Amino acid sequence: MLDTLIPLAVDGLASAALIFFVAVGLTLVFSVLRVLNVAHGSFYSIGAYVAASVGLWIASAGLNPWLSFPALIFSAAIVAALFGPLVESCLMRWTYGKSEAIQILVTFGLFLILEDLQRIVFGVSSLAEDTPMLLLGSTQIGGVVYLNYQLLLIALAVVVVVGLRVLLTKTRIGRLVTAVVADREMAQSIGINTNRVFILSFSLGVFLAALGGALATPTAGAAPGLGAETMVLAFAVAAIGGLGQIEGAALAAIIVGLARVLAIYFAPSLDAVAPYIVMLVVLLIRPYGLFGQAPTRRI
Amino acid sequence: MIKSGWMTALAVSLGALAAPAFAQEKPASLGVGVLTFTSGPAAAYGMPGKNAAELMIDEINAKGGIGGVPLKATYVDEAQGTQGVIAEYRRLADDKTNQVMIAALSSANCLALAPLAEQLQAPTIGWNCDTHQLLLDGKSRYYFRPNGNTIPEFVAYALYLLQQKPDVKRIAIVNPDYAFGHDAALIFKTAMKALKPDVEVVAELFPKLGSANFQTEISKLSASRPDVVFSNLWGADLENFVRQAQPRGLFSSSQVVLALGETVLQRVALPEGVIVGVLGDGWWMSPDARANPETKSFVEAYQKRYGEYPVFPSVKMANAIVYMKAAYEAALKKNGGKWPSRDELADAMRGSTVKTLTGTTVTRKDNDGLVDQIVGVTQKSADYKFPVIGGMVRYKGDALMPPQGEDAIKWVGALTPAFLAAQPKPGSYK
Amino acid sequence: MRVALFLIALVVLALAPVAAPWLQFVLTLAIAKGFAALGVAVLLRGGLISIGHAMFYAVSAYAIAFLARAGVNEFVLLLLLGTLASAVAGLVVGAFLVRYRAIFFAMLNLAMSMVLYALISKLYGITGGTDGMRVAVPSFFGLTLDKPRFDTALYYAGIVLMVGVGYGVQRYLASPLGHALSAVHTNELRLEYLGVPVRIVLLIAYTVSAALAGIGGAIAAMAIGHILPEFAFWTASGHLVLVAVLGGIGGVAGPFIGSLFLEVLHTVAVGVTDAWNLIIGVALIGVIFFLPSGLYGLIRRRGGEPA
Repeated sequence: MLDTLIPLAVDGLASAALIFFVAVGLTLVFSVLRVLNVAHGSFYSIGAYVAASVGLWIASAGLNPWLSFPALIFSAAIVAALFGPLVESCLMRWTYGKSEAIQILVTFGLFLILEDLQRIVFGVSSLAEDTPMLLLGSTQIGGVVYLNYQLLLIALAVVVVVGLRVLLTKTRIGRLVTAVVADREMAQSIGINTNRVFILSFSLGVFLAALGGALATPTAGAAPGLGAETMVLAFAVAAIGGLGQIEGAALAAIIVGLARVLAIYFAPSLDAVAPYIVMLVVLLIRPYGLFGQAPTRRI
Repeated sequence: MIKSGWMTALAVSLGALAAPAFAQEKPASLGVGVLTFTSGPAAAYGMPGKNAAELMIDEINAKGGIGGVPLKATYVDEAQGTQGVIAEYRRLADDKTNQVMIAALSSANCLALAPLAEQLQAPTIGWNCDTHQLLLDGKSRYYFRPNGNTIPEFVAYALYLLQQKPDVKRIAIVNPDYAFGHDAALIFKTAMKALKPDVEVVAELFPKLGSANFQTEISKLSASRPDVVFSNLWGADLENFVRQAQPRGLFSSSQVVLALGETVLQRVALPEGVIVGVLGDGWWMSPDARANPETKSFVEAYQKRYGEYPVFPSVKMANAIVYMKAAYEAALKKNGGKWPSRDELADAMRGSTVKTLTGTTVTRKDNDGLVDQIVGVTQKSADYKFPVIGGMVRYKGDALMPPQGEDAIKWVGALTPAFLAAQPKPGSYK
Repeated sequence: MRVALFLIALVVLALAPVAAPWLQFVLTLAIAKGFAALGVAVLLRGGLISIGHAMFYAVSAYAIAFLARAGVNEFVLLLLLGTLASAVAGLVVGAFLVRYRAIFFAMLNLAMSMVLYALISKLYGITGGTDGMRVAVPSFFGLTLDKPRFDTALYYAGIVLMVGVGYGVQRYLASPLGHALSAVHTNELRLEYLGVPVRIVLLIAYTVSAALAGIGGAIAAMAIGHILPEFAFWTASGHLVLVAVLGGIGGVAGPFIGSLFLEVLHTVAVGVTDAWNLIIGVALIGVIFFLPSGLYGLIRRRGGEPA
C-alpha cells in the first residue's frame, strides 16, 4: 500500500507545483485589476520560449551550465519588463471600469495577437533546453526514480506562496496593493498612485506566468499551442481556488494535481478530464471557489 | 522533353483563351493542393513533409514539369482545425485548375476528407493517412494511400520485438489519445497476444495529443515494471517524453519501442538499443535508398536547403509526389500524349506499381498501398552526430497486409508463431 | 433605407454561390456561426458574457451525429432535434447559471464548456475522441439528394432560417421579456423591486441563446459532414463573442454581418498571409475602442439613423 502511496504523493505534489505556477499570476492579476486576463497563457508560453532560447544560448556560448538556473528567472524578468508595463498602460488601463465583456474581449484580442507573434518570432518547431534538469540528477523514492528538478519545483512553489503573502502583508508596496484591492476609489482619494500599483501588479502577474513557463522548459520544452492549453488549466485552478485567492490557487493546484495523478494511476482515460471534473464539483458546491466570497451587490 | 518550353508557351496561350472548354488540353500549370501541419506542435512532423514537397516540386519544375506542365502547389495548414481544412480542401478541389490533392497528415483530417474526395471527384493522395479505418469499405474511387496503413506498420514492431526479445512478458503502452494511438495500441496488443499468448499488458496510457508533461505517466510506467514500453507518440510530444523518461531510467529498465523514433533522431539524444522504424520503407539511409542515385541527390539537396537530413515524413511526402508524377506519366502515355482528366488520373493510380525513392509501392484494387516495413534499433554512428538505425530488417509489404476485404484486426489476431518464424531476421537487411 | 439595404444584402447572399461556387460552403458556415453569435448577443443584451457558448453549438452537432448514427436521416427532423437538445441543455445549465453575474457567469460558462470539451475528446469509444464523428448526408424534406445538391439546399434553407429566426428574435427582444432583459443590465435591483422575476427572465434568455447556438451547430454539422470536439473548445467560444461584438449587438442582423464579414475575409486572407490571428486580434481591439456598436452600428449610421 505504502509502495503506491508514496509515488502517488510525490507525483501529485510535483504536478501540483507545475499547475500552481500556471495559475498564481492569473489569480493575482484578477485580485488587483479585477480583470480576467485571457492572454495570461500567452505570457506563460512566451516565458517558456524565452527561457529555452536563453538556455540554448548559454549552452552554445559555452558558459558555466549552472548559469542556466538564474537564467530561468532572468528570462521571466525580461518578459515581465517587456510586456508588463506596455500592456498595462496601453491596453488594460482603458478597460478598467468597463463591462466584463469588453475586458475579456480585449484580452482575447491580445491573446490572438501574441499567439501569432510567437509563431513569427520563434517559428513552429518546439524549443527545449534540459541542462537544469540534467545537472540536478535524480533520486529514487518508493522504487520510482524522480528528477531532483521535480522536487526543486515543489520547494519553489512553497517559496512563491509564502513570498507573495509576505510581499502583500509586510511590505509597503504590498500594503498599497492591498488597499487598492480593498477599495479602489478610497485608495485613490487618500493619494495612493493607483496607476503605479496597477502597473506593478500586472507586471508581477506577467512575471509569474513567464516564470511558470520558464520553469517548465527544462522538462517539457516550448511548443506552439502551449498558450491556449495553459490558459484553460490556469483558469480552472484559479476558479477552484477562488479568483484572486493566492492560497486558494495553491490548494486548488494540489487538489487538481492529485486528481490527475489518481486518474493516470487508476483510470487513465480520465486524466485530461480530471481538472475540469474537480472544477465542476467545486463550483457546484461553492460557485465562488474554495476561498472566494460572493461579491456584494451595490445599487 | 526538348519541346517542353514551346509546349508550355502554347499551353499558356491556350489556357488564357479559354480554360474550362479545353479541359483536355494541357493546362498552363498543374495545380496541386498540399495539406500538412505548418504550425502548432504537429509541425515538428508536418514541416519536414512540406519541405520535401517544395523541394520535389522545384526539382520537377526545373526539369520541365510533368509532361511539359509546371507544377504549382498551394499549401494548407492543418493546424487551423478540421473545419478550416475542409473549407480549404473544398475551395481547392472545386477549382478545376487543381488536379490533385495531397492530403493529409492527421488521421482525423483524412477520415473527414475521404468522403469529400469522392463527392468532389478529386484524386487525392493520402500522404500520411495511416489509420486502417480509412478505405474500409473498399469503394473509394478517388482516395489513394500509397504509403501503407497501420496494420503492417505495427505488426512489424511486434515481429521485430519478439525476434529480438523472445522472452517478453509484460508490455506497457503509452500512445497519443486519438485514432492513430488507439489503432496502434490495438494492433500491437493483438499481434503480441497472437504471436506469444502469455504476454500481459501491465499499463495502457493515452495522454492527450499535445501533452507537454509525461512525468506522472513515467512514474506509472516505472511502477508497473514492464519488460517493454511501446509508444507511437510523435512530434514535440515524443521529444518531451524521451527527454523526461531517459533521466528517470525508463530506457535502461525496459526495452523501449518508439514507432516514430526516427523522426526525432536528429533532435533528441536517443540512447542505443531503442527499437525504431519508419512506418514503411522510407529510411533515407537504407541499403535500397543508398543504391538509388535519385534518393541520394534528394537527400543531399534536402540537407543543403534545410540544414538537416530528411526524416521519414519527408520521404513519405516525396514518395507521394513521385507517385503522382508516375500516375500522370502513365495516364499521358495511355492517352497518347493528351492531357488526362481527373478520372483518367485516378484510373492510372489504381492497381499501379510505382518505384519510389526508397522501394516500391503497389496500389491494390481498394486503393490501399503495399510497401515494405523497415525496423531496426538505434545505434551510434561514426559518420553522423546523431544515432542511426542498425540491425535492420525489411519485411515484405504484402506479407504483413491483411487480404482485401478481410477484417484487419481479426486477421492480426489469427497470426501464429509459425508466421513469426517465417519472417526475415533482424540484421538481415544490409 | 434599411429595408432596401436588407433586401440588397439578401439578394447578394442568394446569388453569391452562383458567381463563386466555392463561396457557398464558407457562407453556410458563416450563417451557422452567425446563429451561435446571435445567441451570445442575446445574453450580452442582458449584460451577461458567456465564454462557453460553443458548448451548445457542439451539443447540437453531436446530437445530430448520434441521431444520424441511430438512423434518423431527415434534415428537418435533425435540425429540430439538434436545436431541441441544445435548448434542453441550455435550460438545465441555465437553471444553475442564472444566479451568477459578471465574471462569475462568464467563468462558469467556460467551466461547463471545458468539461464538455474534455469529455467528448476523451470518450474515444463513444464520441470518436479527437477524431470526431461523421455525419452522413441526410434527406431534405424527404428528397434524397447527393452531397452537392444537399449543400445547396442547406445553404438556402440557412438563409430562410436566418430571416425567419432573426425576425422571431427581434420580436422577442422587442417584447416585455426582451426589455426586461436589457433592464437586468442597467439596473437589476430596481427590476427586482418592481416585482419582475429576474431569474426567469434570464433563464428564458439563456435557453433562447442556447437554442440559437444549436441551430448553428446543426447547420454546421450537416454542412461539414464531420464533427469534432474543437467545436466546444474555449477559443471557439471566444470567437463567437468576438463575432457578436464585431458585428454589433445593437440589432439582430449584427452577429450575422460580423460572421459573414469575418468568414469571407478569412478565406481571402488565408491565401495572402498566415498571420490571421494577428490581424483579427488587432481588428477586434480596434473595433472595441473605436467602433463600440460594431459593423452594424456603422451601417445604421450610414443609413441615416442614430446608432
